[in-house]
Parts: sequence; C-alpha cells; structure tokens
Amino acid sequence: MPTTTASAVCTTVGNNILLRLTSGERDVKLKALRELKNQIIGNRTKKLSFLKLGAVPAVAGILSDAVSAVDVADNDENDRIVKDIIVQSAAVLGSFACGFEAGVRAVLDAGADILIQRGCLVEEMPLLKSYMEVVDAGARSLKMIYQSKMAPKYDFLQEENMEFLLSLLNNESENVSGLGASIISHSCKTSLEQKLLFDAGVLKRLTSLLGGSLIQRDASLESIATIFKNNPEVVSQFVGPDTGRTLSCIIEIVKDRFARTRLLASLCLIVIRNASPCYLQDVGIKTKLINNLLELLDDPGRVGDEASFAFSSLIAEKEDMQKLAFEVNGVDKLYNHLQKGSLHPRRFEGILLALADMCSKLECCRSRCLSLQVLKLVVDALAHDSSDVRSAACMCLRSVSRSIKNLSAGSFMNETIVIPLVRLLDDTSTAVQVAALGAISNIVVDFTTRRSTFIRLGGVKLLVQLSKSMDSTIRLNALRALRNLIFLAEDKCKEEIFMELTASLLASLICDPEPSVQEQALALVRNLVDGRINSVEYIFAEDGIILDAVGRQLRIASKAEIEIQGMYVLGNVATGKESHKEAVMDQLLLRAENKAQSCIIKFLQSNDSRLRTAAVWAVLNLTCSSSPGSSGRLVKLHDAGIVSHVKNMVNDPCLDVKLRVKTALEQFNSFDDSLASTSCLQFLTVRAVGELSHVVDPSSKIPCDSISNSCYVYVTDFCVIYSHVANSINSQCL
Amino acid sequence: MSKKVITREEWEKKLNDVKIRKEDMNKLVMNFLVTEGYVDAAEKFRMESGTEPDIDLATITDRMAVKKAVQCGNVEDAIEKVNDLNPEILDTNPQLFFHLQQQRLIELIRNGKVEEALEFAQEELAPRGEENQSFLEELERTVALLAFEDVSNCPVGDLLDISQRLKTASEVNAAILTSQSHEKDPKLPSLLKMLLWAQNQLDEKAAYPRINDLATATLEDPAI
Repeated sequence: MPTTTASAVCTTVGNNILLRLTSGERDVKLKALRELKNQIIGNRTKKLSFLKLGAVPAVAGILSDAVSAVDVADNDENDRIVKDIIVQSAAVLGSFACGFEAGVRAVLDAGADILIQRGCLVEEMPLLKSYMEVVDAGARSLKMIYQSKMAPKYDFLQEENMEFLLSLLNNESENVSGLGASIISHSCKTSLEQKLLFDAGVLKRLTSLLGGSLIQRDASLESIATIFKNNPEVVSQFVGPDTGRTLSCIIEIVKDRFARTRLLASLCLIVIRNASPCYLQDVGIKTKLINNLLELLDDPGRVGDEASFAFSSLIAEKEDMQKLAFEVNGVDKLYNHLQKGSLHPRRFEGILLALADMCSKLECCRSRCLSLQVLKLVVDALAHDSSDVRSAACMCLRSVSRSIKNLSAGSFMNETIVIPLVRLLDDTSTAVQVAALGAISNIVVDFTTRRSTFIRLGGVKLLVQLSKSMDSTIRLNALRALRNLIFLAEDKCKEEIFMELTASLLASLICDPEPSVQEQALALVRNLVDGRINSVEYIFAEDGIILDAVGRQLRIASKAEIEIQGMYVLGNVATGKESHKEAVMDQLLLRAENKAQSCIIKFLQSNDSRLRTAAVWAVLNLTCSSSPGSSGRLVKLHDAGIVSHVKNMVNDPCLDVKLRVKTALEQFNSFDDSLASTSCLQFLTVRAVGELSHVVDPSSKIPCDSISNSCYVYVTDFCVIYSHVANSINSQCL
Repeated sequence: MSKKVITREEWEKKLNDVKIRKEDMNKLVMNFLVTEGYVDAAEKFRMESGTEPDIDLATITDRMAVKKAVQCGNVEDAIEKVNDLNPEILDTNPQLFFHLQQQRLIELIRNGKVEEALEFAQEELAPRGEENQSFLEELERTVALLAFEDVSNCPVGDLLDISQRLKTASEVNAAILTSQSHEKDPKLPSLLKMLLWAQNQLDEKAAYPRINDLATATLEDPAI
C-alpha cells in the first residue's frame, strides 16, 4: 500500500489533471489527457488512485463529446485536435482496462466499450485525416477490454454483430484484425457459437492471417484453437481442399522462431487432435509435438509456465502419447525443471500435473520417478503456499502410488509422506482436500501391516469426519479412502475403524442422497465383512441396521454399480454362520412394493455380467453343500423361482458367470435326490392312480424310461415303486 | 591423434566454391541497419543497392527518437514517446516499465536532486517493488546510491555508468521492435557467433586457416 504521504502527493497532481480535463479549451483538455495517459500506463497504483477520483466517467464523457464534435468540425486544425482527443481518450480508457479488473469494471460501467466501437470503428464516420490512428487506437482499447475476464459477452447470434466481426477480421490493420481474433478467442464459448463462426467462414480469413505478421499469426492461432476446442462436429466438417493447407501451415509454425508462437501452434494442433481421432495421428507429428513442448519448458517466462499445461492436455488419458514421451526422456526432463527450485507457482503446478499425467497409466514412468527421487520434491510441494500447487502435488502422488510393486513394498506408507498428506485433509481448499483424499485412497492399499501408521497419525478420525461433509465429492472420496484402507485389513485394524465409523453412520451413508456415495458405502461394507467369520458380525451391529439398509437399497436401486456392491455384501455375509445365511435369505426374499419377485431375479437377468456374477455368488454361498441349512434354503430359493433362473444361465456368454453357474448346479444336484424325488413322486402318484385302473400282469417287470415317457408301474407295493423309480430317475438326471 | 591438415590453397578453393547471393548479403546488411536504427544509412543503402527494408523506415525514426532520449537521460520524454507510438508496450511489459522508472531515478540522483529522488522512489517505484521480489532487489540497489558520498566508487556505482543507459535503451528498442512484429536482434551477430562455433568444432578435427580477428576477417595459416 502506498504511504499516506505518497498518496497525498498523487491526489494533488491527480486533482489538477482532472480539473484541466473539464476545461472548455480543447488544447488544455488534450494536454491533460496526454498527461493522464502517461501517468497511468504501466502503473497500477496510479490507475487505482485516478479511478477513485472518477477519471473514467470523465474521460468517457470527453470521448463522447469529441465523437459528436466530429460532424461539426469545419477546418483542418479542429479536425486534428478532435481526432487527437479521440485517440488520447481511447488510449486512456484502454489503459485503465489493461489487466486491471477494477478498471475494466469502471470502463464498462461508463459504457466506454460501446462508445469506442461507435466512435472509432464504425464506417459511417466522416473521413478524417489519418483516420487509421483513430481506428487503431479504438481497436487497441477494445482489445484490452475483451481480454479481460469481465469482458461483455459478444453475442455471435446477432447477425449485425457477426457482420461487424467479419469486417474487423477483414480489415487490413493489424490492430483491427487482431481485435476481431481477440473477440473470438475470448467470447466464443459454446459449441453453437463455434459452429456459427465456422459456418460464417471465418476460418478462411484466419488461415490467411497465419501468413501475416507475428501479431496476426499469434492472434489467429488462438482463435482457430478456440473454434475447434472440444467440438468434434466442427472439426469433422473441416474437410475440403483447404484443410490440408491449413493444417500443414500450422505444423510449419510449430517450428517458428518465437517461443510463444510455437506454443500457440502446438496448442492449436492439440485441440484439433483431441477433438477428432482422424487427424494428426502419425508418429512423426506426435513426437514433434512432444519434443516441442518439452523444449518450450526451457523458456523462462510465461511461455514456459504454460508449456507444461499444454503438455498435459497432449498426453492426458492417452497411453500411446505417454509412452512416446517416456521414450524421449520426458520424465527426466520434467524432473530437471522441478529441481531448479524457487519456481513460479504456475510453473510448479504445471510440471507436477504433467508428471501426474505421465505416471497415470505406465509403470515405467512411475519407476523412473521413484528412482529419480521425485517423491521428495513432491512431498515438499504438499506444504506449498499455493493451493493449486498443493493440489497438483497430491495428484502426482496419486498417480505414482498406482504402482502395485511399490505399494506392496510399503514405499509410501511412511511418516514423511503420510503426515503432510493427512494434514491436507484439513486444508482450507476443498479441491486440495479432494486431491489429498485421492492420494490417500491409493496409499492405504497397503499389503503389509503398516496401516497402523496411518491410523496412529489420526488419519481415520479425519476420514470419518470428512465422510460426514456437506460436500458430496468429499464424502465420496473419503469413503473411497476408507474402503481401500479396510481392504484386507487385520481384525484389530477393522475394529478401530468400525468404532470410529459406527453402524448408524454407515447405514445412513448407504442411504445417502448421492448414488455414487451409496456405492462407495456399500463397497466399504463389502470389504468390512469380507474375511473371517467374525467380520460378518459387524453388519449385525445395532440391531442389524446396516444389513437392513443394504437390503433396502438393493430393492430400490437402479444403478448397476450399487446393485453389484450390495450383492457382494450379501454374498460375503452368506459365507458366515447359519444365522447369517438365514438373515441374507430374509433380505432376499423380502419383496419390494409393487414387485412380484425378489430383486435378485432382476439381477440374474441383468445385461451387466458383473451383476450376474455377484448374484450367482450369493446363491452359491447360500446353498453350499457343507452347511446344514442349505437344503432348506434351496427349497425356498426354488419356490421363489430363483433356482430355475440360475439353471437357465448354464450357457451364459460370460465365462465368470458360466463357471459360477456350473458350480451352483453341482451344488443343487447334491440335494437333488430329495428335490427330484419329491416332484417325481408327486408326478408318479398321479400317474399311478391313473394307471392303476388298467391292471397289468403283476409279475411282468417293465423297465422305466425317462420321465418324459410314460411309465409302467408296479401295482403292488407303493414303497417299492417309489424307491425303484427314484433310483432309475437319478441315474438319468443331469 | 593427428588432425587433417588443410592448406590455404585448398581452403580458399573451398570458400570460393560456396555460392552466396549478393541479394542475401544485402538483406543481412539492411536487416542490421534497420534493427539497430540507422535510418539515414538504411535510406542510402536502399538507394544504392535496391534492397527493400523489411520495416517501414518511418517507424524507425520514431523508435530511434525513443532510443536517443534514453541514451541522453531524458527518460520522461522517452516514456511519452513510447506511449504515443504504442500505449500497449509499457502496459504489458512490467519489467521494461520498471527499468525505465529506475533509470529516471538514477538520473535524478545523478543530478543531485536527492529529495525529488526519494519522493519519486517512494511514490513510483516502491509499489512496483511490492508487486515483485526481483524489482524490490533492484530498487534497493538503486536507492543505495543515495547512501554513498563518493558515488562513482561505491559498489553500485555501475548504475551511474553510461552503459546502464545503453542497456535500458536497448531494452526499449527491443520491446518496440517486438510490438511491430519484428525480430529484436539483427541476424548478423548471430551469424558471427555461428562462425566462431563452427570453427571451434572444426578445430577438433582439422588444422586449417582460421579467422581469428573478426574485424579484419583475414585467414591465418595453421600452425604446423
């Protein structure tokens, strides 16, 4: 903040200037305008003080007067002064709008953007000498305004606006065509607008600007990228005799001598590549882009800062690109930049995110990172002042910790990493919390017994707290972390976690308003009850509210992911004691309102093979041969129509399902004596009664064929009939 | 390892075999004159050789006026001229703007206007220093000038050198060129650097007549 003495001095000078601005004499006015301009250009503090003195409306007023005065101008001298006043006031207003939000606001409030447009750029203006100066000044100022985030939204849908834009683009002056391009770059946001611009044919003009001056080239590249961004439809319409030319033109520019131009050209190509799979796919161009961006990292200024973000957009989610980048030592190069220290926050963030993308899918990249000791720098970044950097560091950690090899070796579960991470769970920024949760979710998948480190450092308490957050994203990610933490955990560990969570919290999370949260909660319970038999007891805590909640969700859910997790919960519980299995049966056989059958039948018929697998597992576990109550359960399942559905799945297209069904049917068979016999007996009894009316020679023994054929029966002893028929049928059943 | 020896005869023959067009050489010269701002020389050269400059010579005049103002220590005048030429330059180049303001401060100190200098430093430069750490360091160095009685011999005395003015002038010149989509460095010095590099590379493999003095460009026989 400037001291009181300085601002007092400034105010005196400022007031003096403003006073002279109101003078009736044009000469005085003009001189004051120039002085004001020279005071504020480059000087943010002065802009602020003049703003407070009301300079902007005053200058806007002067501009407005001058524009009207143009019509009345009657001699050369007056012409010149009026023109100068317009030029200077436009320059002042443009400067106020330059990178200074309060200034942009004031300029917009004063309606200066419209004034400038009408005053400087509209063609009806009478021809003044050196008209170009006015046009240029106006164009420059408007460009400043449109570069701001608060720029008025340019309505491309209005025909006259589109015409005006085209006239700007077609203008010879660099500043004017630059304004046109700038409007496109900053105002074109929706796919409809992109299409409108494309259809209006702006691409032709923009392509010709690619061959213009440096400024025209840069502006044009930005606009082209804006029109194509995320719009496959527009890109696909980009076919024609001009396409190849434009593309090869941009590819040439990737080698331009100016760093910023190289960056913009690369970004343009990346946008086109990402929007459409048929362009720019050969290895040559891929390698060129990667190498170009890695090289641009060397630029010490903003270009270098932004290069890493461009690199991320090039390789994100694309394994082939990540592999190529790895082959040209991408990881090492990024690491070298990280090592430089005292990086600008934006650059730091960019490089961390680039490394995160590099390591997102490829183990070779993760190994390289770990061998280069990248972790140390990443962990330091966890405590950086900038929340974006902290967030990026977490994402990097999340990617690197996808390495199963290192997870098993316990490389991540140590205090140097866990302590700063856990601290971030309490971060002021939600985004950082979510990112930290992402990293923790991976790190707690520890195949050793070191989870206790995490618990000891208060990790569980914080995770449970976050699972109660108002923000559903945080709830979701906290649950994911807990789910992974509890996976294959030891008994003592599970107990500690469950005590912190409580059954009522779990039950309420299973019924969370957000489906994705429900899914994670169910997955958590699945892992909780998995393992030893006493783990199953957890689900019965507090009068079984968790099990009830699971059952309830299964009956009303419509999302496959939730149904899958829920079925696995029941399947796991069904591996327990008899009472556990019976409880599962109760849940399954409970019908939802308006539903004629158990929900499991719907699952068995699902298109999703994962869901069919989960459902069959549950049936398997409920009817396993070693359990005494299984035959009874089998009957109940049969009566509910579930067994026949399973039998129909014997030729399921999914191998997993098919194998489970085979096992299930084998299990069914081991009870089949009673089952088949009972029904067969019923059948035979009916026939026997019918047949008994036709008396046959009692001594003749007629062999029994399969059930589908009519059977001749012994008339004499009903018990003998039963055992004989039953045995022969048994030997022919599947 | 013995190096290949190339005699003067062989070398001169090789040099003569390389064809360079006169037009290209002229372009290089014109590029130098125009970038460095020698308007009159460029005008004469254009008349004599028919080489077209790649910049409108009129704009060079404006740019040279700015450069000259800085070289003479009239920084305020230079700032006004730059803003007339293109108001965006100083608004989008915080480093350049700071250096110009710094030069103003130096000139005030040089002229013994201590109070004015302090006021200026506080009002204009201190806020810039707050915005940027490296500016603050440079500001502190400049203000340190006021602490010494014998300014020409103090540790920061180099700031009062004419070279400091030239440095600032060069910075402004470069910024104006860039804003006009022109390259800020002439090509000729880069070519000379490449020549020296190429010779150094060749030195490892051969002994040949070298150019050791760039000013005369005479070939000196290899020591055998």
